[in-house]
Amino acid sequence: MHVLLIEPDKLQADAYAEALQRDGHTVARAVSAQVAVQQADEKMPDVVVLELQLPGHNGVEFLYEFRSYHEWLHIPVVVHTFVPLRELAQAATLAKELGVVRTLYKPVTNLAALCAAVRVVAPVVERAV
Amino acid sequence: MRQSEDRVQLNSQEQLFLGLAEQMSQPLVQIARLAELGGSDDAATAAMRWQTIQAITQSSLQLVESYALSLRVQGKVTPLELEPVTVSSLLYDTAEALQPFARQYGVDIQLDQLPRLQPIMADRRVLQSAMTSLGQVFVLSQAEADEPSSVHLSAHRNRYGVVAGLYGCSAQLGTDSLRRAHALQGRARQPLQRLVSGSAAGVFVADSLLRTLAAHLHVARYRSLTGLATTLQPSQQLQLI
Repeated sequence: MHVLLIEPDKLQADAYAEALQRDGHTVARAVSAQVAVQQADEKMPDVVVLELQLPGHNGVEFLYEFRSYHEWLHIPVVVHTFVPLRELAQAATLAKELGVVRTLYKPVTNLAALCAAVRVVAPVVERAV
Repeated sequence: MRQSEDRVQLNSQEQLFLGLAEQMSQPLVQIARLAELGGSDDAATAAMRWQTIQAITQSSLQLVESYALSLRVQGKVTPLELEPVTVSSLLYDTAEALQPFARQYGVDIQLDQLPRLQPIMADRRVLQSAMTSLGQVFVLSQAEADEPSSVHLSAHRNRYGVVAGLYGCSAQLGTDSLRRAHALQGRARQPLQRLVSGSAAGVFVADSLLRTLAAHLHVARYRSLTGLATTLQPSQQLQLI
């Protein structure tokens, strides 16, 4: 699968990208929402891994824009973030309206769990296709 | 965006502790993930990862030490040790301290050609800690740019004193960083700040340290760059030496 990894921290992005590549995926990296849209435009991802805390436009704003394009409407999004989801007023909206299939809290999510979450969304990709 | 009632019930000190704790979890996560990858590394990759972990650890320890120093000085547990300080040598040492951390993020540290400036009376350790904490924030902010660029350390003189600061290409570097630090301190509240990436604790710590020297951080522009700087008073007596 082709994974779009939206992660502003370079060192973390290096680690996540390497783990996902070892798991057999190709990875496109983006440090901001704007770059992520460009990356998705160049090559449509099968899965998006998204940190909500981004420079400039935040992850939720990115999701609203991302979902506004018809061709990206069904691409599953795994939120992988430092923001405790129970503190977000829109946690329910993220799942229901913005197509977030998994939410992972970074401090307690190791690389194996991240890779597993990306693998789990594969059937969702197949159904969408 | 965020349900902020929980934070409203926290006083400014608790907010700061929470902010620092959240920020400290970032390098710990970086180290944990790098360690996870390390199992199947060859010698060269393992050595590279080891360097990265060292740089992350050093910068995190520096931030914690700087915060502790600011509390100690504020609480008069540690007295200020005032001495003549040459700003150019202070910035040189800051640049040296930041290099290993910046290298990991692909950010250049540039020490601008500094003019001959009068020495100031300050606690060198406090000033150095403030500048290094600030520098780390700038490195992280620059690394998040689409095109990582350089952080400039510079000093110049104006009519108010010697202005020493750090600058970068991003226009948001100065104002946004300072706003986030003030928000962490409870002086301002941004509804969306929780989802904005960036390090606020480093700016807050730098500001706290500078306040013990009767100075503070302000947004500054230098040539075409934006950043944060502090204005330090040159010693009138030292001018005579």
